[in-house]
Amino acid sequence: MTLTLIVFLPLLGAIVSLFLPKENHDIHRKWALIVSLVTFALVLGMWGPFDASNPGIQFEQRANWIPSIGVSYHVGVDGISYPMLIITGLVSVLAILASWNIGHRQKEFFAWMLALQTAMYGVFVALDYILFFLFWELLLVPMYFLIGIWGGPRREYAAIKFFIYTLVGSAIMLVGILATYLKAGLGTFDILAIAEQASFDPRFQFWAFLAFFIGFAVKVPIWPFHTWLPDAHVEAPTGGSMLLAGILLKTGTYGFFRIAFPTFPEGADAFKWLMALLSVISIIYGALAAMAQKDLKKMVAYSSVSHMGFVTLGLAAAAGAVAQAHAAGDANVVSQLLSNGSMALNGAMYVMISHGLISPLLFFLVGSVFYDRAHTRMMDEMGGYFTKVPVAATILAFAAFANLGLPGLSGFVGEFFTFVGSFPAFRTLVIIAALGLAITAGYHLWMMQRVLMGEGKKGESFPDINGRELAVSVPLMVLIVLLGVYPALALGILDPAVSQLVLKLGGM
Amino acid sequence: MQYSLLLPEIILAGLGLLLLALDLTASSKRSLAVAGVIGTLATLVAVVSNFGVTATDIWSGTIRVDDFAQYFKLIFTLILGLVFLFSGEYLEKRDVKVGEFYILVTFATLGAFLMASSLELITIYIGLELLTISSYVLAGMLRQDPRSSEASIKFFLMGALTSGVILYGLSLLYGLTGSTHLVEIARGLAGSTNTGLIMAAGVFVIAGFGFKIAAVPFHMWAPDTYEGAPTPVSAFLITASEAAGFAALLRILLVGMAPALPQWQTILAVIAFVTMTFGNVTAIVQTRTKRMLAYSAIAQAGYVLVGIAVATPESVSAMLFYLLVYAFTTIGAFAVVIMLSNHIPNEEIEDFKGLGQRAPAFALAMTFLLLSLIGIPPTGGFFGKLSLYRSAVDGGLVWLALAMVLNSAISVPYYFGIIRNMYLAEAGATSTALAARTGLKLALGIAVAATLLLGVFPEPLVGFLRSIQVMP
Repeated sequence: MTLTLIVFLPLLGAIVSLFLPKENHDIHRKWALIVSLVTFALVLGMWGPFDASNPGIQFEQRANWIPSIGVSYHVGVDGISYPMLIITGLVSVLAILASWNIGHRQKEFFAWMLALQTAMYGVFVALDYILFFLFWELLLVPMYFLIGIWGGPRREYAAIKFFIYTLVGSAIMLVGILATYLKAGLGTFDILAIAEQASFDPRFQFWAFLAFFIGFAVKVPIWPFHTWLPDAHVEAPTGGSMLLAGILLKTGTYGFFRIAFPTFPEGADAFKWLMALLSVISIIYGALAAMAQKDLKKMVAYSSVSHMGFVTLGLAAAAGAVAQAHAAGDANVVSQLLSNGSMALNGAMYVMISHGLISPLLFFLVGSVFYDRAHTRMMDEMGGYFTKVPVAATILAFAAFANLGLPGLSGFVGEFFTFVGSFPAFRTLVIIAALGLAITAGYHLWMMQRVLMGEGKKGESFPDINGRELAVSVPLMVLIVLLGVYPALALGILDPAVSQLVLKLGGM
Repeated sequence: MQYSLLLPEIILAGLGLLLLALDLTASSKRSLAVAGVIGTLATLVAVVSNFGVTATDIWSGTIRVDDFAQYFKLIFTLILGLVFLFSGEYLEKRDVKVGEFYILVTFATLGAFLMASSLELITIYIGLELLTISSYVLAGMLRQDPRSSEASIKFFLMGALTSGVILYGLSLLYGLTGSTHLVEIARGLAGSTNTGLIMAAGVFVIAGFGFKIAAVPFHMWAPDTYEGAPTPVSAFLITASEAAGFAALLRILLVGMAPALPQWQTILAVIAFVTMTFGNVTAIVQTRTKRMLAYSAIAQAGYVLVGIAVATPESVSAMLFYLLVYAFTTIGAFAVVIMLSNHIPNEEIEDFKGLGQRAPAFALAMTFLLLSLIGIPPTGGFFGKLSLYRSAVDGGLVWLALAMVLNSAISVPYYFGIIRNMYLAEAGATSTALAARTGLKLALGIAVAATLLLGVFPEPLVGFLRSIQVMP
């Protein structure tokens, strides 16, 4: 019941907000904040009862929905989805705070922000294909409006491009869903039941995995499906960028964890090389593209492409490790290989969580804190912020260091795990990917040099970061540090579910 | 013979005659609409009460009363009722003869009733003529507007031609089998070796009904007619007339020509594919609302045709589901178009500018309807399309399912063209609030509620449709 409440409370809040007076701007943001906070509190309230050692589904709820074709309302969380719920709740609250002074049409804005939350929570808890698809598609509509109404100059183009790209991907995925449903022959759309009970021949797994791969790859996005991302991220209003980068991208990789890998292990095996290759291209390409940007927000956008490459690399590596384990005979070697696989997958999940904290922070700083003061995002026109706005500049430096993977911060842990876990499976590719780290460090340092140091424009002076902006930044910073120095906090939840997924991949 | 089985038709015919009398005597034209709505409700009750009846042939086998027929009558009646609700203001503003409009639309619906409720070729044909001849007049009722006359004359010329084509195809079937009853025809064709003539009959029937449902390449008349006709008439033609075409096509192909059907699968699938793709691609570049909706209707007809191409019990129920959703969705969308057209007569897509601010409820309703037309959950359009995809994948036409889903994506730009105008563009200086009569609001409310309800709780209808067979 808790999960149902979490999913639908924001939507209910959005509907109620339609009846609040349009002219009273203050009431809408407060209402949205209250609803988001209550929802987030419900998510946090699950922390106690959530049994981290249990790799299975918890807080499960199931009801018939369309029994004649086997669609059910089935929700639940495990160690993979629960952390995503927490990130969703946190970033949603912060995104509303970040949008506190949105310029016009406040009522609609906050209503869409709330509706978006329902879709995000829904994707992470749905355990039925149709239900999953419903929330997956529902993500698009609020985001379309958020980008299209409150976005930058090219908002209309960015909004419709985002919508069409994702819709094409998800449309192909829908055919995959139907084929899977019919081929499984169980008469149910239940994700878990199909993953556990159905047996698919390798040929079918290949095609089905491909269909899901396209659907998820667009959302992640994996190169070459990424071209919507720079437009959407750059044009989106700050709150939208935060949710887009922090949560929506993760729904793509989450799809691999929840659906594609457990259901089609042999499909994952068939695609592991392609996936690893595309991931490494994403890492390098994203980093190089980020380096080439003059626009700070665009730089952050491309860095997302690069970082999501680590997640998909870890996923591919898990499939690779499992394949090696099959080839190996010795039980010790097998268990070593499987633990590599778990490590790569844990790393991938960790990157998802960490990037879910760092990228919203960066987008908030770049799109709001600095933009509101300097009214530009062009790095050439900035400079000297360490002296002008020391606190804000320090936070940006912190976020940049976190993003480039400085040890002691959360970004490092995930990338380290991913690399170490992936190396035995894809040696050459991982070495190439490591070059990406150097480029990543490079563009972040160069950015700091251009934006934070130096003289900057003469006679320019701004107020430093204010209380509300600190309230958005500090929780993210605290978690970034906490997860950087105490990885067990997240790994304790992730590992049981991830290890079980690796066993499932290996058919063991 | 049980007259209760014919009660819907009797009530509807009575309603037509009553309206005829009222038109001469009543002082207020609004009373006609009220009488129309009441008559439609009575018809609805009669239709619904006949559900579940054992399939019965009456009048020497010319009329077949079964759940398939009742279901289509339900669709037609709902459409008629909504047309009665939302047309008044438009007709008065455009100086259309209100009484004649209501009478003709009622008799057109009666024709549609006959088409769905028969397994006998002559009766189907008579129903078709009753429907189309009324429609020719309806399309030309804006007498001051040359486009309306053009719509009517084009519709008439093409319609007369295609009626001839259909009749020729039907005569071939009669010649081959010596019967005009579809069950007898099926029996005759099963033993026939005259494949050339069967083929020819199939070509004529498919081409002829292809015109009626505006399938590509038989669609040329449709955009002009749907654009030029009075807007309530366009709405009626796109929904009721098309559904009637599908009802007849389903019966003739799936009952009468069932033995020869497998040879047609590829051709029908290709027609479906070309129709949806052509409709969607052409709709993207339209700037006039009704013309865009006309191409959208062509595309939607392509989706529905998938159900016939797959030709399994699942695909037929998916098709029936989709037709009902489509009727509600399209009528709802037209209600918004009519509301807008009552204030801004041009009917350009640009007119939607700022509607999100000027009439938030209408804009929100339109958004739901457009999302349903694209097939975004949780609307009825999504579930209908899902059922069609499912039946296509299950029937081995995976490519067609893929083509359908990709077509949904192709359709986004033009459906979102309206959404973009409503919400993303700011309202101009003339941003007065828009008002509408209660009837129109009611029609829109019913349409939106049904669209959403069929998406969130499709189970009752799905379960019911499973029991419906084209031929018991």
